[in-house]
Amino acid sequence: MSALQIKHLFGLQGVSRSDIRQILDTAKQFREVLERPVKKVPSLRGMTVVNLFFENSTRTRTSFELAEKRLSADTVNFTTASSSVKKGETLLDTLRNIESMKIDAVVVRHKGTGVPKFLAEHSNAFVVNAGDGAHEHPTQGLLDMLTIEEKLGTLEGKKVAIIGDIRHSRVARSNIWGMTTMGAHVTLCGPSTLVPRNTELLQYKELAGSVSWETDVKKAVADADAVIALRLQKERMDDALLPSMREYRNFFGITEEVLACCKDKVIIMHPGPINRGVELDSDIADGEHSVILNQVTNGVAVRMAVLFLLAGGRENA
Amino acid sequence: MRKKHSTLDFDQVVLKNVKLWNGQKFEDRETVCVGLVNNKFSFCNQEDLDSEKTKVLDCAGALVMPALFGLGIDFMEPLRDDVYTFNDGLDAMHRGGFFGGLYESAANPIDDPEKLSAAIDRLLKDAYYSKLKIRFLGAFSKDFGSDSLSEMMELAFGLDDEDADFKGVIGFGDGNAAIPHSRFLRLAMEYGKMTGKRFFFQPMDRTLRKSGCVHEGAYSDMLGMKGIPRIAETIAAYTVLETARFLKVPVHFKQVTCGETLDLVRNARKNGIDVTCDVNLYHLLFDDSCLETLSSAYHILPPIRSAADREALWKGIEDGTVNAISMNHTPVLRQDTEVNFEDSVPGALSLEVALPAIWNELSSRVGEARAIELLSTAPAKLACVDTPAYVPEIGGTANFVILAPNKPRKVLESDFAGHVCNSPLVGKELPSTIVGSYIHGVFHVN
Repeated sequence: MSALQIKHLFGLQGVSRSDIRQILDTAKQFREVLERPVKKVPSLRGMTVVNLFFENSTRTRTSFELAEKRLSADTVNFTTASSSVKKGETLLDTLRNIESMKIDAVVVRHKGTGVPKFLAEHSNAFVVNAGDGAHEHPTQGLLDMLTIEEKLGTLEGKKVAIIGDIRHSRVARSNIWGMTTMGAHVTLCGPSTLVPRNTELLQYKELAGSVSWETDVKKAVADADAVIALRLQKERMDDALLPSMREYRNFFGITEEVLACCKDKVIIMHPGPINRGVELDSDIADGEHSVILNQVTNGVAVRMAVLFLLAGGRENA
Repeated sequence: MRKKHSTLDFDQVVLKNVKLWNGQKFEDRETVCVGLVNNKFSFCNQEDLDSEKTKVLDCAGALVMPALFGLGIDFMEPLRDDVYTFNDGLDAMHRGGFFGGLYESAANPIDDPEKLSAAIDRLLKDAYYSKLKIRFLGAFSKDFGSDSLSEMMELAFGLDDEDADFKGVIGFGDGNAAIPHSRFLRLAMEYGKMTGKRFFFQPMDRTLRKSGCVHEGAYSDMLGMKGIPRIAETIAAYTVLETARFLKVPVHFKQVTCGETLDLVRNARKNGIDVTCDVNLYHLLFDDSCLETLSSAYHILPPIRSAADREALWKGIEDGTVNAISMNHTPVLRQDTEVNFEDSVPGALSLEVALPAIWNELSSRVGEARAIELLSTAPAKLACVDTPAYVPEIGGTANFVILAPNKPRKVLESDFAGHVCNSPLVGKELPSTIVGSYIHGVFHVN
């Protein structure tokens, strides 16, 4: 059914350049739809999409739900707080029960790496990963890519700096895979306790030459066309990964001083929610370089594109 | 429905067309006979057998080699005795050609003599297969991981059982628990030294492991899974070795996963420390690229490490640093494996598939004699089973396994005993096939 080579969207690792291109191009069309007075198309009319969120989420779940509704799909929201999971039901049983209700697609967020793939192996519905542990968050990666293309024209040859807690970031991983596939170079920068420890990363031949590390944030952003600041999760403080927010902000935060080292036309991105004054100063988050709200809008368009294409890319989009 | 035990009710067997291990090499034999002669299951002449009660099997050139000994077996009972029982575990041993094993329960630490007696009753007396050479490790702490010493002297010497051919546990270990803090480690080894028994450790520093579940490396990085660094093993190993040197207590490292630990073992031996070690079957078969599948079947602790680590383990096997290959047979309930990797329960079955999975590569790397030693005599020796289980001469003890080395076979769920099948080898084609086994007079044909 899928109009793409992939049947599900588990992550951006291994997704072909042509599939990513098709998703981004389709998202651009849906981006235009979102500007219309009537922001709805009948593409998924008659289809039922279940949003299975085993982790708290407001932004991503809302964005998916809006995308589904813009495509005229019927949507059902399932969260652990209101489900039998709290009563001990297994993940597989949960899926089987939901699937028995004749659903067509599952959007899933879960703390465990690989849960979307696991569900797809036991389901006839197509599955979209809305974040699995620290593994991938592919629609966030795609919306970041769409935003860069929208602002800079192309990803090919562009330099992207990702700053912050990369080790625990599913957004970073999706961006690394997706952006390098589309020809960008990615520089990773963060405290040594929050970046991938292993240069063994380059065992992945696909990434060789496309990913580099930098410990000095000013050097990392110096030739970047786009800077993505990642959210610092405060619980990391309890695990002795960082000494203090202040030290983090002073050495890895995107401040005016850091911005001064950037190219004039650099764009500043953030997956949200922002810890203002920690990973990103307020003036910059709200400033002329910031494209953070564009990312949010593009999120709906990208999710519409993914659902539409995985459903088969039927006519009358 | 429970899978049927596939043993045949024949203790007298004539094998045709085999290659028999003669202690040095495999030699062609048209006929090999085994049966109960002089109250002992042994190799015999055909005229010693009652032809009407004899099973004849054409082995089509298969290898007849000494039966194996399994280090690290745990049948998990009574986790769910409707799913996996001691009998199932013993059935697995027959299926895989094991004449004995070193039992160490993670579910029920053997930390007092009553628990040892209970385990003996269930594994050696009440079991369907009651003649296997099972030996036991006792816990050195109560309930594993506590700060209270177990009754080590009672466990080592207190068994008063006329039927048992041993007097207690052969050594001490706290299952797969991380090594205790240094003071308790010292006290446990200091007290246990009085027994003269070996201490068995799976070297793992609990704080460095934390909630890690896979090897910390490229794959854990890119899959966003919590990793266990090599130093979690090496720091723990070093702590144990230093304590062993200080106290002069023999130690064994279970399931070494990386070359750095083997280097520590090599250096320790040079310095006179009595240290032995084993490596897990699956650590020799796989590397962490298997994580890309995200399959919970590869959830094994300690974790499957990188390709370089795997090669370092093979090098340790080749140069003799590694004493034995361990099985670490761990049944896991199906519902605990049918989840995503991180939420699954670690552990893998191995007894049924170990030999066909590893024989070809192992024998080609180290030769047939050393391969047999690593799988049979060496692990038995570590478990203090010194009586030969296989003497290939008329009247000699006959415990053997029959392997067709160049007959590939796909692993099926039904190959495993009990109601579990948690092995990363399910669905994979192994290069060789077990034709059958003859263990303590029980002939099993696969």
